[in-house]
Amino acid sequence: MTIGAMYAVSTIGLSLVYGSLNMLNMAHGAILTFGGYVCYAAMARVGLPSPLAFGAAILACGALGVLIYLAAAWPLLRSPNFETNIFIATIGIGAIIENAMLKVFGPYPIPQPLAVSGDFVVGHVHVPDQNVFILAVALALMALVAITLERSRFGRAIRATAQHRSAAQLMGVRVGFVYAQVLAISGALAAVSGILVSSIATLTPVMGADPMLKAFIICVVAGLGNVYGAVASAIVLGLMEASVQYLLGVRWSLATLLLIVVIVLIWRPHGLFGRSQEERQ
Amino acid sequence: MVEPLLDVRDLAAGYAGRDVLFGLNCRIWSGELVAMVGPNGHGKTTLLRAISGLVRPSRGEILFAGKPLARLRPDAIVARGVVHVPQGDWLFPGMSVIENLLMGAYLPAAGVRVSDRLDFVLSLLPKLAERRRQLASTLSGGERRMVAIGRGLMAGGSLLMLDEPSLGLAPIVIDQIYEVVFALKGSGRTILLVEENAARVADHADRMLLLDNGAFVWEGSGPDLMVRPEIVETYLGG
Amino acid sequence: MTPVRRDLLVGLFLLGLAACVPLLGPGRYVTTQSTLFFVWAVVVVQWNLVLGVGGIFSLAQMALFATGAYATAMLGFYLKWPMLVAMPAGALVCVLVGMLIGVACLRLRGPYVALLTLAIAQMMYVLIVNDTECFTNGSMGCLPLFGGVRGIGQFGDLGLRALFPSKWYIAHYYVALALLAAAVAFSIMILGGPLGLAFRALRDNRSYAMSRGIGPFKYQLWLFALSAFFTGLAGAFYAIHFRVVGPTVFSFSTLLFLLAMIVVGGIGSIWGPVLGAALLMLADEGMREFPEIRDVGLGFVTVLFIILCPRGIIGWRSTLGSVWRRQRMRRPPESSPNP
Repeated sequence: MTIGAMYAVSTIGLSLVYGSLNMLNMAHGAILTFGGYVCYAAMARVGLPSPLAFGAAILACGALGVLIYLAAAWPLLRSPNFETNIFIATIGIGAIIENAMLKVFGPYPIPQPLAVSGDFVVGHVHVPDQNVFILAVALALMALVAITLERSRFGRAIRATAQHRSAAQLMGVRVGFVYAQVLAISGALAAVSGILVSSIATLTPVMGADPMLKAFIICVVAGLGNVYGAVASAIVLGLMEASVQYLLGVRWSLATLLLIVVIVLIWRPHGLFGRSQEERQ
Repeated sequence: MVEPLLDVRDLAAGYAGRDVLFGLNCRIWSGELVAMVGPNGHGKTTLLRAISGLVRPSRGEILFAGKPLARLRPDAIVARGVVHVPQGDWLFPGMSVIENLLMGAYLPAAGVRVSDRLDFVLSLLPKLAERRRQLASTLSGGERRMVAIGRGLMAGGSLLMLDEPSLGLAPIVIDQIYEVVFALKGSGRTILLVEENAARVADHADRMLLLDNGAFVWEGSGPDLMVRPEIVETYLGG
Repeated sequence: MTPVRRDLLVGLFLLGLAACVPLLGPGRYVTTQSTLFFVWAVVVVQWNLVLGVGGIFSLAQMALFATGAYATAMLGFYLKWPMLVAMPAGALVCVLVGMLIGVACLRLRGPYVALLTLAIAQMMYVLIVNDTECFTNGSMGCLPLFGGVRGIGQFGDLGLRALFPSKWYIAHYYVALALLAAAVAFSIMILGGPLGLAFRALRDNRSYAMSRGIGPFKYQLWLFALSAFFTGLAGAFYAIHFRVVGPTVFSFSTLLFLLAMIVVGGIGSIWGPVLGAALLMLADEGMREFPEIRDVGLGFVTVLFIILCPRGIIGWRSTLGSVWRRQRMRRPPESSPNP
């Protein structure tokens, strides 16, 4: 459950970005890693208390998201192969960020200081407090995102831009700003995801690759661009991954995951809940 | 001499480097209902898009209330009061009728409450009130058109541009749509209309402009146009 | 002269040039680095077939390369096959895997394919690296089926080391060059032939091409299979040349390196990737003093090129054209006040 929730937080950001911009952000894993490290650095090296460190990581990654928009997405938006080009560009950007982390923090794993220790007992099962914390944070975030998207003017603008960009422009939506905001939100969510993931595992410069890949797979299975479907799939897949790891061993989890994904995609090429993108302008 | 609300000068525009409009001149005064007619594919939609900012003109000027419009982003142009209801509706498929209408009022307008405007639009288009929570992608053609026009009305604005409001609709529904359009004209709105069926609007339009191959070839009042059989046959299919 | 003839002539010319190089006595380092360049060039040219011509966004090339390497190594190590047989066999295994990947990606488009292929590569890596059970316990000690983290070695040789004890690397140079020549010639023929035409049609106007009976699935599969053959062969040679194959072939660093080659050189043409490979190998030489920023540098180069010059160096003409066109649109309007 916990794993699913962590993945869900990541996938929301990816899904939003793809839904609005048609952009697969391959730098997502690197941003995730960056967030984890910023939190660590804020706590261990600057001495900030954990809530502030948390906030610092979120702000830093949000800013990083906007930077990526300005440096890569905006110049490429006019090009004919936008999807392909931005994909490649974000791969490059991800490599840059990851290697910067490698240089600054070294290749050895560092424990994430933002953690909750202790556990409580439910029946015969020991549940670490950390997992509850993660679950709570993830749920809170998902609720926040859902409310923002559904109820606020700002969220409506994001949805409008994702559903029909030109129409949104005619309504007075400043589409460029929306894109930047979506990337900022995605960055912030990635930061949270990075902190959560590293609190269970450890901080390493390459920790972002695996969660990012899984988050993408989840998005693809749910149908790229469908945020709620992605969340549901994340939880289901998280559960599946845990059970496969328990039954077959860790190495087979990715393989089985992939097998499922391939089957789903052959049966439904647009994902379980996706819709074909003909309406997009 | 009163200044025109919209002044298009020597406008050239097109797609992918090839122009579709060649040196257009056009003026619209406040309160007019101006109808653009002419065969399909000759640039009527392109002109509206150039005015609303979706297409960048390669040459020429567009002045709205005296201020230039030509290089602005579409959202800035809407903010100035130019509202474009595009051909094909362009509704937000995943949003309900109400949400679509609310998007129309996305830009805050001074001194007007969104809920008041919503009431006004729903009173004009009562069918929408019945279906307020329905998803836009499940509406019928006529209902969609009404949502599109309603959305345009929610924006307020001083110039309303309608691109083929009768496209693909049954005659009864077209009547209903035009009832609303003419009522708006009656209340003093400035409307620029693209319409394939010139006869429908000939009696109500203050002026008709005939666009052929990217240039205006004729201008006059509605009744004038209808009594010229050669124009009617050549350009408007009889 | 037809484009095919022209390309073949250019290829022949370059081949002649390259063949003369060792005779000038450049030394072991340059020769072995050039050999490596040939290997990467083969991979990148094949990748370009799938990516640039077929328009299929596959990131599986390195996985295929690794498949070829591993298959050959394992055939030599476990079944004791001689390398001259194991190499083409390994390439055929690679073709099979390529076709499987092609089938998996059949109905997907664009980014979905990229993700799936990336995931497949990652999955192979994970499967190999996390395997800790000992499959054999021979001369190398405990060895998992696929070699685990340490990789597989001692599987045999092309015999050139025995034949030319001090100059074997030159022999390898020529083998690699021959491989590259074959791969390039093969690609030229493909592009000039019906397959290439079909793919251009599919890419330019998919629905029309399909209505004329060009089934994209069949051609897609063909393309995957064909490009996998030479990639596998290149992988096999790589294994033989270095005498060991391990999971490092899956490294993201290498993928980035190859990606940069394609981006810099230019997608879609035959010579673009070759040029990119050459340039990147040279740049890599220059970066030898600064190994830590290699990947950062690669990242930067990739990003810069894809934003500023998306068609690569080969495509500089079309980049110039679009820049010029954009400038034209920006010119201020000539206002002619018309009362």
